[in-house]
Amino acid sequence: MIRSWRPGPRLVSLLVGGGAAVLVLYPIAYLIQASLSVGDPQARPPDAYGLANYADLGRYAHIFGNTLLVAAVATVLAVVVGFAMGWILSRTNVPGRAAFEQLMALPYYVTPLMGALAWALIGSPTSGFVNQIWRALGGHGHLIDINTPWGIAWVMALFEGAVAFVMIGAVMKSMDPALEEASQVLGASRLRTMLRITLPLVLPGVLGAAIFVFAEMLGSFSAALVLGLPNRFYVVTTAMYQLVSQYPPRFPTAAAMGVSLFAVMFAMVWVYRRIVSGGSYATITGKAFRPRVMDVGRLRWPFLGICLGYLGVAVILPVLTIVYASFQRLTSAFPRRDNFTLAIYATALSLDAVRSALWNSLLLGFATASLGVVLMGFLAWLIYRSRLPGAGVIEYVLMFPQAVPRLVFAFGMLWAWLVFPIPIYGTLWLLLIAYLTVFLPLGLRTISGVILQIDRSLEESAQMCGATWGYRLRTVTMPLLKPGLVAAWLLLFIASVRELGASILLMGPKSKVITPAIVESWFSTSSELTAALALLQTLAVAAALAIMFAVARRAVQAGGE
Amino acid sequence: MSQASIEVRDLVVRYGAVVAVRGVTFTVGAGEHLTLLGPSGCGKTTTLRAIAGLERPTSGEIRIGGSPVFSSSPAVNVPAERRGLSMVFQSYAIWPHMTVFDNVAYGLRVRRRPEAEVTTRVREALDLVQLGDLGARSASKLSGGQQQRVALARAFVFSPSVLLFDEPLSNLDAKLRAEMRVELKELQRRLDITSVYVTHDLEEALAISDRIVVMRDGVIEQVGTPAEIYDRPRNTFVADFVGSANLIRGRRRPDLERDGLVVIQTPGGALVHGTSPDRRVGAEALMAVRTVRLRLERARPESAVNAWPARIRQRVFQGDFTQYHVDWDGRLLIVRSAAPDPLAEGDEVFVSAEPRYCVLLEE
Repeated sequence: MIRSWRPGPRLVSLLVGGGAAVLVLYPIAYLIQASLSVGDPQARPPDAYGLANYADLGRYAHIFGNTLLVAAVATVLAVVVGFAMGWILSRTNVPGRAAFEQLMALPYYVTPLMGALAWALIGSPTSGFVNQIWRALGGHGHLIDINTPWGIAWVMALFEGAVAFVMIGAVMKSMDPALEEASQVLGASRLRTMLRITLPLVLPGVLGAAIFVFAEMLGSFSAALVLGLPNRFYVVTTAMYQLVSQYPPRFPTAAAMGVSLFAVMFAMVWVYRRIVSGGSYATITGKAFRPRVMDVGRLRWPFLGICLGYLGVAVILPVLTIVYASFQRLTSAFPRRDNFTLAIYATALSLDAVRSALWNSLLLGFATASLGVVLMGFLAWLIYRSRLPGAGVIEYVLMFPQAVPRLVFAFGMLWAWLVFPIPIYGTLWLLLIAYLTVFLPLGLRTISGVILQIDRSLEESAQMCGATWGYRLRTVTMPLLKPGLVAAWLLLFIASVRELGASILLMGPKSKVITPAIVESWFSTSSELTAALALLQTLAVAAALAIMFAVARRAVQAGGE
Repeated sequence: MSQASIEVRDLVVRYGAVVAVRGVTFTVGAGEHLTLLGPSGCGKTTTLRAIAGLERPTSGEIRIGGSPVFSSSPAVNVPAERRGLSMVFQSYAIWPHMTVFDNVAYGLRVRRRPEAEVTTRVREALDLVQLGDLGARSASKLSGGQQQRVALARAFVFSPSVLLFDEPLSNLDAKLRAEMRVELKELQRRLDITSVYVTHDLEEALAISDRIVVMRDGVIEQVGTPAEIYDRPRNTFVADFVGSANLIRGRRRPDLERDGLVVIQTPGGALVHGTSPDRRVGAEALMAVRTVRLRLERARPESAVNAWPARIRQRVFQGDFTQYHVDWDGRLLIVRSAAPDPLAEGDEVFVSAEPRYCVLLEE
């Protein structure tokens, strides 16, 4: 299509590349500038530059240690979970395999924040349900304590386990079973085949997943905030948040921390890409294989137990806990009839702050998803279809936010848009720009997956039938892209409404959104109200999605007739 | 139906540092069926896409029906949708979100034909490709062969002046491909439309073309009728790529040449008489003879030239023919014979060839 649109593809790529660079790199430039400011910490732009802030980071060595500890423990746990589930669900005849594979998406929808809130209710040392029951049974003190590094790692691992599962499961499925069969035909035992053939072949995939999860974990925020703050246990992201929100704020130190974290994560994502694109992936041949399913005999039942156990602690228990807590006057592990109430919801819905935060979030989600689909659809098409010079560089820049924790990115934006001539600071507009930027990788990946599946010749054959650019777009390209665009819309909507890291820094007092409001409520009001808010958010998302689905289905039907 | 001629002159297509087509010149007469034949990467598909307007050439000129659709100077580049051509794609490119009818009707609706006319013409086209009753079916629920037919119907239904085929049969299995080859030829004759066909399959090219252009590495190696290409390959590449041939190297013997024949003497001393259609060759020469043009006999044949004693080393039965590996003149010759009387390994025989099938090659 670009071919009928000759005037200067170079100009187009320059404009798009420039736009992308502004959106993505402008905040990062400000982040780096802030980290180099050694004069008056409130001065903008800085009145003196130096590396003192980085030298000063030595005082926060324990925070970096904390971050590494939590991330390492959680990564090991998540990879073990992902590997076990990946192997069980793709290679053994465990009952209900197909259903479990679908259900494995659920932990991803139970966000780390929800998980942290639920597990705080379950496992906090004094009032946690498990410890209440422990004491009722005659125990002393507490059985478990979720407000520790281990607790944070536990909650994060439950969430990231599903991510690791998707990555490792894909590798296991894409492995040619003939590779294992060849080993067995040559006389190797099952165990030997597993150790000498299967394991080495999936190892690069497991390593890739481990690095990806570790990088995500370094930048994770919500679980560490909810579970670490009561004991003053900080990781880099929560420490940054603390430094920015305390009085007086210490922006330069926070910025130096953010840049350090960003540098490490960037290196890890780079290593991850090297592993994925490197030739060591002999298992990925691009063909779809029917994975060989192994009959594991009676071991099926323990394996079924593992699957149910994981979904139990990652999804069922947290959701039930939140629901249970939201209907109680005072959360207690022991249900009493007079303790149940609907008053919490009445309170939640009567609060103007809650109503406006919820409304703002839905509005922002709608705007982000709608604008995002158009913007990212255009960008994906430019990058993957138009043969634009420098498309690779543009893609690289646009995927940049993936390597930056959203809180760190938001910090850069905070700094950058404060000096922006149009006063959008403290408004929903700033959040909209932030969401569109940080979700670029998410949207691009979703849409490009669909674009790459659509053979170029489908457009070309329309052209050969004499159809002009616009006619082709209307009758062939858009209808074929529709499922991908709908999926991207939904993902962007969900991600926006649940966003915390960027929102918590960028929202103004008159432009609150719901997720930070839930966190605020957790620290300043009651856990019952927080649980109700978390459920309301989930219900609002579900309701919005249901409406969208209905509208989309009607549109697809109308378009198909 | 309308017909248009195509002229391609000095066509060069470059992708960055890679030159896919390096100066190609040929013409396709009105109503002619021309095939671009060559191995993958030879530039045949690129040339076709340049004619279609899907690829922008670096330089050269393309004229359709006498008027330029692309020229580097003066700069002309008519977009694909306004060249009045049509094309059948290798992947078929059937739109999965439409019915068979809508797929075929697309070109007519683009041209804003009245719906009544669209209906009649789509019906006719579907009948012609023997899919008459499948119009209402969703295009995503078709077999490979059916998709192929829909792609064909969609390409010719709006009476384009030229039909382009980009390896249309390469995704079909061997049996279906052979059937479709015959059908396609029949369809071409009935539509009587100018066509350019791209393939790497020799049999396909020989079966359906009026003329064949053999390409390699972005240049034309030979242009000719199927018979010319087959029996008079210009060089070792064409001899090798187009079917199987024995290559015989030897020294020219001008002293023995008469009756318009050329003679070479092999290192082993055998004299081979052959033809040299306008070929420039030196004292050392290479001759090609098709494996099916060699004959094996128990008794010495009566012909005066090109009959030599030989010995069967190996026999490979292949169904339609038997392939013999023959010791001859200190080397192996390969002979394919459909004769019913089988020769045994170790038999002493005579191998012979008519001089008109022994062709001098340019190297």
